[in-house]
Amino acid sequence: MTSRHTVNEHHMTLTERMKVLSEGTKYDSCNQSAVCHAFGPDGRCIQLYKTLLTNSCSGECSYCPNRCGRDSVKASLTPEEITKITWSFYRKNAIEGLFLSSGVIGDAENTAEKQLEVARLLRNQGFTGYIHMRVMPGTPLYLLEEIADYANKFGVNAETTSSVNYSEICPNFDYKSDVLQRLKWTRDLINKKRKEVGYGGRIVGANDTQFVVGALSEPDREIVQTVDKFMDKYELRRPYFMSFDPVPSTPLENNPSSPQWREIRLYQTSYLLKDYGLKAFDFDMVYDDNGFLMDSDPKILLAQSHPERFPVNINSASLNELLLVPGIGPVGANRIVRSRPISSEKELMRMGVVISRARPFIEINGKRQTNLASFMEAS
Amino acid sequence: MIIAFKKNVEGVLLACHELRESPGSDLIYADTLDELKSKISFSGFEDDVWTLGFKPVTNCSDLATRILGKRKSRMFQRDPGVEKYIDLVLRHSSCSPVELVHFICSCAGNADQLYSGKSPTGKRFYNYMRDVTRAYHRLCMFARPDFVNGILTVEVNSPHRIGDMFCRWLAGKNPDLPVSVIENDIAWIGNGRYIGLENFTNVRSSFIQSLSFSREDDELDQLWDVYYDSQMIENRRNKRHAKQLQPKSSASVSEMSRRDRYKVERGIANCTLDEFNA
Repeated sequence: MTSRHTVNEHHMTLTERMKVLSEGTKYDSCNQSAVCHAFGPDGRCIQLYKTLLTNSCSGECSYCPNRCGRDSVKASLTPEEITKITWSFYRKNAIEGLFLSSGVIGDAENTAEKQLEVARLLRNQGFTGYIHMRVMPGTPLYLLEEIADYANKFGVNAETTSSVNYSEICPNFDYKSDVLQRLKWTRDLINKKRKEVGYGGRIVGANDTQFVVGALSEPDREIVQTVDKFMDKYELRRPYFMSFDPVPSTPLENNPSSPQWREIRLYQTSYLLKDYGLKAFDFDMVYDDNGFLMDSDPKILLAQSHPERFPVNINSASLNELLLVPGIGPVGANRIVRSRPISSEKELMRMGVVISRARPFIEINGKRQTNLASFMEAS
Repeated sequence: MIIAFKKNVEGVLLACHELRESPGSDLIYADTLDELKSKISFSGFEDDVWTLGFKPVTNCSDLATRILGKRKSRMFQRDPGVEKYIDLVLRHSSCSPVELVHFICSCAGNADQLYSGKSPTGKRFYNYMRDVTRAYHRLCMFARPDFVNGILTVEVNSPHRIGDMFCRWLAGKNPDLPVSVIENDIAWIGNGRYIGLENFTNVRSSFIQSLSFSREDDELDQLWDVYYDSQMIENRRNKRHAKQLQPKSSASVSEMSRRDRYKVERGIANCTLDEFNA
């Protein structure tokens, strides 16, 4: 097997190696809320040149195609090659910057040093674009501090919700010290950097992390609670979710893949935590008996499980009450509050409210949609 | 009385201020003084004309505060401030500056009406602002400049007047290079100090087009295709969503976006003729 790797890598062109290593990052999400430059046929935006330094990895993560000992094509790019490709795409306005991850090269410290070399090289050449680095669990603090000087965003992936789960899928690392401690350090470094550069300086991205959904049997309730806890404790701004897909020749190859909708529902729930001020316990009514989300919009389920809260009067409800109405988002709620009195559904539509969703839950000037319950009450 | 104002932010705000003082006045606008003179002479009313905005003397922020109040009026974090809002609306191909002045006056000091979309006119101007912003963002996303004698150059063709905005963005992204954005017969130049011009200026587009054009990017285009294809996850293909994000109009912005758009529409071929031969 070793000979195959060696032969492959030595006989591969730059383009071939680039292809292998970019494919290794296609499951990583890297939204930085700036300019996207293309959208893949799956609808995900492409705004950074995403690559691994190498896909040779000494880790044995049970879900990962790059895990140690798995027979696959191995490749790597030198810092100079990554820099050259990044510059070419950047000048062509095809990207906004670089997303750099890697397989573990020996240990986390050595890997971070190699990643840092790329960032340092780019910045020394005058690169002002965006650099996002995913560091390995266990990266030492002194290297994170240096990475913070060069990268706009950096962080470590939590992958799962607890130490027990983590030891099952990533046996080489310790959840508490290698992941949670790093999340705490990145939070502190981000706050420090933001104070240093202030507004108008370079972008310093918020703390983020990624979860693999469905590799283990942890229920959604546990994931949502973890996200909520991370938001409070580590100032996590946005969690990313990656649906598990079994990879051949890995210990989890016979596990079923996670349905796509589960990832979508988790994202919707995370937005409700992030932008609507809800907490994990608010969703207790939304899960099924096993603690999993159902394939339905969690905001609608939440509204349906609290009929006593509705209908809300559009002209007198508070901002928080409006935010709980399906079809009304933070922007729409703000517009409503600042444009009262509202006299018709047409006005609401012009303000961006999805009236077909909101109609059963609102009342305008004493008028509301009739439902069976109100009909029964009247009779 | 006739209020004659320049078609820019300052002109619109001054006209609003003046219209509030003299509500029955007629409004005319122009881009330049020459255009204004010809419009006035054509109308035949050369007396009692107030000319506003052609000499930049006013602090626009103060003026905007006087007309629309101090309150922070944005309702969405990406909504621009009042001055930027007016600037963007004026760039729209369908915008009537006279109507805009009347609309701002009708807000009666409440800037919320610019953003809420509650009235049909408010919604229309808000949509104009969003249209221009969207067109600008699309250029930032899909335009792919080439090097022409060391100048990073791109030709744009938008219905709205956004060439200068895009040029500033491109110059900011590449602070170490001169950049040029050709929009019809004008070429906007950013970082012009590197080629002996003002830092931000415009020249006739023939000046840039006369430079010999050398395109050396075929290899880069191929590399991009390899990268683009590598990011595809086949079982997540979502044609409808991808088409919304990368609309058909984006394909005309550059050759690279055209190929990307084609793949959104048709998917990425996972086999080639060579493989059949093998």
